[in-house]
Amino acid sequence: MELTSILVIILIIMGLSLAFSIGANDETLSALVGANITKFKIALIIGGIATGAGMIFLSGGVGKMVGENILGEGIEYTTFMLLSVLISSIIWLIIGSFSGIPLSSTHSTIGSIFGVIIVFSLFQGDVDPTTALNYEKLNSVVISWFLSPLFGFLFTFIFFKIISKFFLSRLKGMNQIEKSEKNFSWLLLIAVVFAEIWVGANSAECIGIFHALCSNGSLTLAEKDFFVVICGIFVFLGIFIAGRYVIKNLASQMTDARPCESFIIQISSSIILMICTLMSLPISHSHVIVFCILGLNAGQKREVDYKGLGKMTIYWVLTFFIAGILGGIIYFGFLSVSLI
Amino acid sequence: MPKKELKKMKIDEITQYFMNKTTKQNMKLIRAIDHLIIENFEEFEKDLKYVIENKKEEEIKRVFESKIWKSKMMFSKADRVLVFNRINKIRDLGEILARKMLLYRVVFPDEQFKNNIKEILELLKTVFLDLASAVKSIGKDLEHSYEVSQKIKNEHLDLRNKAWELLSNLYNYEMDFISRTFLYLKDLIEGIVFLADEAENFAGYLQFLATKYLIFE
Repeated sequence: MELTSILVIILIIMGLSLAFSIGANDETLSALVGANITKFKIALIIGGIATGAGMIFLSGGVGKMVGENILGEGIEYTTFMLLSVLISSIIWLIIGSFSGIPLSSTHSTIGSIFGVIIVFSLFQGDVDPTTALNYEKLNSVVISWFLSPLFGFLFTFIFFKIISKFFLSRLKGMNQIEKSEKNFSWLLLIAVVFAEIWVGANSAECIGIFHALCSNGSLTLAEKDFFVVICGIFVFLGIFIAGRYVIKNLASQMTDARPCESFIIQISSSIILMICTLMSLPISHSHVIVFCILGLNAGQKREVDYKGLGKMTIYWVLTFFIAGILGGIIYFGFLSVSLI
Repeated sequence: MPKKELKKMKIDEITQYFMNKTTKQNMKLIRAIDHLIIENFEEFEKDLKYVIENKKEEEIKRVFESKIWKSKMMFSKADRVLVFNRINKIRDLGEILARKMLLYRVVFPDEQFKNNIKEILELLKTVFLDLASAVKSIGKDLEHSYEVSQKIKNEHLDLRNKAWELLSNLYNYEMDFISRTFLYLKDLIEGIVFLADEAENFAGYLQFLATKYLIFE
């Protein structure tokens, strides 16, 4: 078997593993489980199916953006490039996990792509770094990383203020509040399913690999579609088999949250996610969620941990560059070995 | 109320029912001390035995626990349990004071002391009635519950000051009481203060609930 074929198999395995880990790390369902709306297993099945369906049917645009459109004209991913991107993202995410820094896998992936393509254009000749990437698309992706949390914040803030003025502030006693929260529980169920669909649809880092393999001819269109379906199944398995621990853990800390608050956060973040997905922009769901929570806190005039937020923002910005440098170094390493 | 009827009640209704029972128990306790002041020991003991009797309360507790266990309202479950437990705490303190008071038949030292105790009892009565009203309001009007709780805090302050004064009088009587009378009266005043302290803590908790659940425009 040729080295390229072996690498393609490795990339497919890594892509499927990514799909599994996306499911395993998905915390969206914790709001549902924390509010005790459905039985735990039923929540996992509903969430898993929604995420899987989103990935299978709606991830095309974002996947194509990462796997194809972000590159300059005439540039294609090689298997070594993809491998470098994945290894670099994984290393940076592992470092982040061990250091307790919340990092975005989307930012890491795009950063790594940037680094790899720049090294490719510098050391493989005949490619101008200024045209090696589609900077218009890359800019829109990077801008969306800043705008999506900001809009998440504003949307949640305004949405909360409206609901609060016309409904929540009119509830006077615990009986009334409990009755209204019962109705919000069902709305939360719908919002979480909606959110899961768009989480699956915006999972660029795994779907992008298959698009890239398809665009460089390593996979046929039918094979790519087949693997996207398998990714959908893997994301379901990720939630059902491994995600339950993250969800259970977070849910136990969320029992105090009112379903109406969780509903506002989930619906706001999923709308942002949906808009970005429809615009083929890969964004970080966790970043949007964090800012939606901040938007709600601001609406409720609660204290905000600005120090923690500042620290988080620095890492968000750094992720792109560090993953880029790491990706570049790894690709340069591969390049040196293959040149030898 | 038969157990069947109790089981049909909602969590808030059971809490109200338990609060009503506890308030009734506390009123009996205050009436018992009134009887003690006028040395009507027969009525005094009758009222205290009512306070100590707790078969029905145990039944209410069991029904409440089974209901709250099944409740789907995760966000308010813990608060509902805490409200119920705080009512129970007041009931327990009342029972402990009643048991202590049954240990001995005391005769109050003088009219001044009797009048002072009566004043404190009046305040305690107001505190308990207000507490019942505040607890009753949490289901329908948390803002009212908050305001009544603030009133309880002020009443508690008055009661404490009067109790300290009375305790100081007790220590400074010219004649030396036999130790049983002194201890009994000291325990009585302290028991009343403990009850009022618990009611004040409870009021603080009710204010916390109001700020936690009410969303203002």
